[in-house]
Amino acid sequence: MTEKENPGGARHHDDPGSIAEAGFLGRIIDKTGIVFAIGIVLSMAILINEVILRYLFNAPTIWAHETTIFICGMAFIYGGLYCAARDQHIRVVLIYDFVPPRVRRILNIAISIISAAACGMFAWASWIMVQRAAFMPDGTFRLERSGSAWDPVYPGLVKVSLFIIMSIMCVQFLILAYNYARKKPGEAQS
Amino acid sequence: ADMTLKFQSSDPSGNPNFILQQGWAELVKEKTNGKVAIELLPVKSIVAHTETQDAIAGGILDGHITDTSYFSGKDPAFGLIANPVGAWSAPQEMFDFMNKGGGKELMNELMNPYGLQFIGATTPGLEAFVSKKPLNGVDDLKGLKMRAPEGLVQQVFAAAGASPVNLPGSEVFTSLDKGVIEAADYSVFSTNASQGLHDVASNPVYPGFHSMPLVEVSMNKAKWDSLDAETQTAITEAVNEFALSQVAALAAKDKEAVEAAKAGGKVTVTDWPAEERAKFRKIAASQWVKVAERSKNAQRVYDVLTSYLEENGLIK
Amino acid sequence: MEIFGSFQALGIEYGTLVMFIVLMLLLLTGMPLAYVTLMVALIFALGWFGPTVVPLITSNIFSFVSSFVFVSVPMFVLMAAILDRSGIARDLFDAMKIVGGRLRGGVAIQTIAVAVILAAMSGIIGGEVVLLGLVALPQMLRLGYDKHLAIGVVCAGGALGTMVPPSIVLIIYGLTANVSIGDLFTAAFLPGLMLAGFYVTYILIRAYMNPQLAPIPSEDDDLTTAQKLKLLKGLILPMMVVVGVLGSIYGGIASVTEASAVGVFGVILSTLVRGEFSFGMLKGAALQALRTVGMIVWIGIGASALVGVFNLMGGINFVSGLITGISENPTIVLLFMMLILFILGMFLDWVGIALLTMPIFVPVIITLGYDPVWFGVLFAMNMQVSFLSPPFGPAAFYLKSVAPPDISLATIFRSLLPFICLQILAVAMLIAFPGITGR
Ligand code: NA
Ligand code: NA
Repeated sequence: MTEKENPGGARHHDDPGSIAEAGFLGRIIDKTGIVFAIGIVLSMAILINEVILRYLFNAPTIWAHETTIFICGMAFIYGGLYCAARDQHIRVVLIYDFVPPRVRRILNIAISIISAAACGMFAWASWIMVQRAAFMPDGTFRLERSGSAWDPVYPGLVKVSLFIIMSIMCVQFLILAYNYARKKPGEAQS
Repeated sequence: ADMTLKFQSSDPSGNPNFILQQGWAELVKEKTNGKVAIELLPVKSIVAHTETQDAIAGGILDGHITDTSYFSGKDPAFGLIANPVGAWSAPQEMFDFMNKGGGKELMNELMNPYGLQFIGATTPGLEAFVSKKPLNGVDDLKGLKMRAPEGLVQQVFAAAGASPVNLPGSEVFTSLDKGVIEAADYSVFSTNASQGLHDVASNPVYPGFHSMPLVEVSMNKAKWDSLDAETQTAITEAVNEFALSQVAALAAKDKEAVEAAKAGGKVTVTDWPAEERAKFRKIAASQWVKVAERSKNAQRVYDVLTSYLEENGLIK
Repeated sequence: MEIFGSFQALGIEYGTLVMFIVLMLLLLTGMPLAYVTLMVALIFALGWFGPTVVPLITSNIFSFVSSFVFVSVPMFVLMAAILDRSGIARDLFDAMKIVGGRLRGGVAIQTIAVAVILAAMSGIIGGEVVLLGLVALPQMLRLGYDKHLAIGVVCAGGALGTMVPPSIVLIIYGLTANVSIGDLFTAAFLPGLMLAGFYVTYILIRAYMNPQLAPIPSEDDDLTTAQKLKLLKGLILPMMVVVGVLGSIYGGIASVTEASAVGVFGVILSTLVRGEFSFGMLKGAALQALRTVGMIVWIGIGASALVGVFNLMGGINFVSGLITGISENPTIVLLFMMLILFILGMFLDWVGIALLTMPIFVPVIITLGYDPVWFGVLFAMNMQVSFLSPPFGPAAFYLKSVAPPDISLATIFRSLLPFICLQILAVAMLIAFPGITGR
């Protein structure tokens, strides 16, 4: 491939990683991404396997679809955290881009704090969900299952993961807010 | 109204079930002299259909009208009571068990700890079976690639020699059409017909032999307990009346759809002989035990159910 | 605390208005989109009810990420990321140059053709916009095409996935309205092609009126037949992938979602054949897929939560009251519905719009005596507009996530305007001439 011919000029494939303001946590989040990325490839392999088993051998599995949904669901949730650490979520920057760096810094701080507060609320709400998904009414531990013939614990796992990831996301936004605040205006855009 | 209760249905708004459930909401208003109004919301309007139990317990919704098997993941007992494949050959048998045979008490024993009160049961009736190729009995199920939903139904078909494929409802049509699957557990005959399933799978089995879901009407227990006895009775009566009218209405619709299908000449409706149905039920009953082993409550459901069926001569 | 529940004093009318204003304001602060709808859902959950209702939002996040229909999105994005890292896409466009080289706007038209083929392979949008954004956009820019035209073609073409069968929008509509999904697919086929036809016509008109917008590659004249044949080899592998995917769907080998995995598999095999495969390449592609789905899915997540909160506020009764109260005249009611869909399309993801409006619109449409199948196609056509319309235009966001950084969202939205007009024209055609659906 000849990158230089691209008029856009920036379709490079090197990985910028997490942004500096995301700190140490951001770097861990960035590195852990590979686990979920492999998950996406694995889902593909599982689906292909299922198609082959069903079509050629008339032997569909009872686990392929639920497992694929589970793996992709985990990748979806983690993907949100991954983009937060890398500041790759899409923003409508019509105003954001035209304000001076000083205002932009304040916006960054405010957005990070608000997002942290929201994620905190969501972590709390997920915890309520986890309590019902991880414990029976009598208090014994039992992860919620799918109820299918195979009956995996995927729904319970996804709910627990949602709680964990929301909590991490909350901390990540607090770190971002702190680091945006620490930087002097003007350096805000690294 | 003094009180408006938000109920979420597991049916979409254009579905005949939902339209009949709106009749129930009217009936409640009538029977409580306008004191209680039901705001009936279609599936997924507040939360997903598998999440209503939590939403009711948490005070987000007041109640739901839904297939109990959606909560099989919480406790296999829900799956077993919701669709004990082969136990009932007509809606009335299930209603008798619920109202007079201890079913209602059993449901509340299961649901109260989750913060829900079971008010009464209804059902769309015996589901019809959708198939591309002619099925004349249990032997034809061998190797049949078919879609079955969660739980017992899937297990029973596997035990009967079919190859159940786990597909969501939204992929049933395209998969049948293109032949990814050859048959599907879906809904009652008239609904299958109006959603066009018979256009792509022209050998339905009617009346169905495999499934008659329990649709529960239940609500937040604390809220229920706060109602006076008169109101409670009125709501309960409304549920029972609605159940009977729903069964009658859908049976009539089914009959009409079957006539239309036969007259159309493109669909071959098969009815299974009694001995084939008996064979299938026997296979089904063998699977109940397996579900019963999965939890204490499931075992309890199994015990109550089998003793009721035996006492009433419904199984030999 | 006093604040919880205090919003109820606004009443549902002003509550709805305030909701739109807050949504708009938050969008403009530059807050990541993924959090904007979630944030509004949270504000209204707390303000209208109180903390007890907040689990509604997390419950909807859980249900959203656990649905099978979205599995095809990471598959398509992965396919795109692998194509982007191999030479397949470039060779494909080089070969296509020969086929349509002398035609002004030929490459843009071919992109639309590729988009229609992709639309027949997938039932959802997201993946295709990313795919075309990575594959077709750079090629058009390389050939000197006008930036705006190229961007518009990619977004509008990439959004065709839910207009051309199979389509998840139509499937969900069929389940809601209790009508035959087969009938919906049949009825949507021509309107889908009509829309693609509008795009092609528009490209031709623009290109012939202003040849600078779509230069014809001059090098073609010098090519010998042997060279041309060599270039045409570039068509073979992509065509085999397309045949594999379409064949697996229409041959009854795989379900629509599984077929998206067949596509990825085919592309990986192609890189092996070309000797371009490496684990580093696959790793890079998978990581790109992870971040792209992270963006795409989180943009969609908030809408279902927001609709849940709005419906709990009494939104369903409010909207159906609005519609039935507007007029006795069915045509006006219908046009009003189109207006509602258009406005919602500016703020919500299609999942949210479908959840909110289908249950309300379908019974009304049937009462008014309209054909629900035709309306389903009309609904899907409206969703085409919603994918593109600012400020919340998912197709624009998907493209932005993979386009060169110097292409701004403002540029993308400006490029989309003529295509939005074409989509609205298509909506009008469907209303004026329902016969296009064959009904
Ligand atoms: Na499609
Ligand atoms: Na839009």
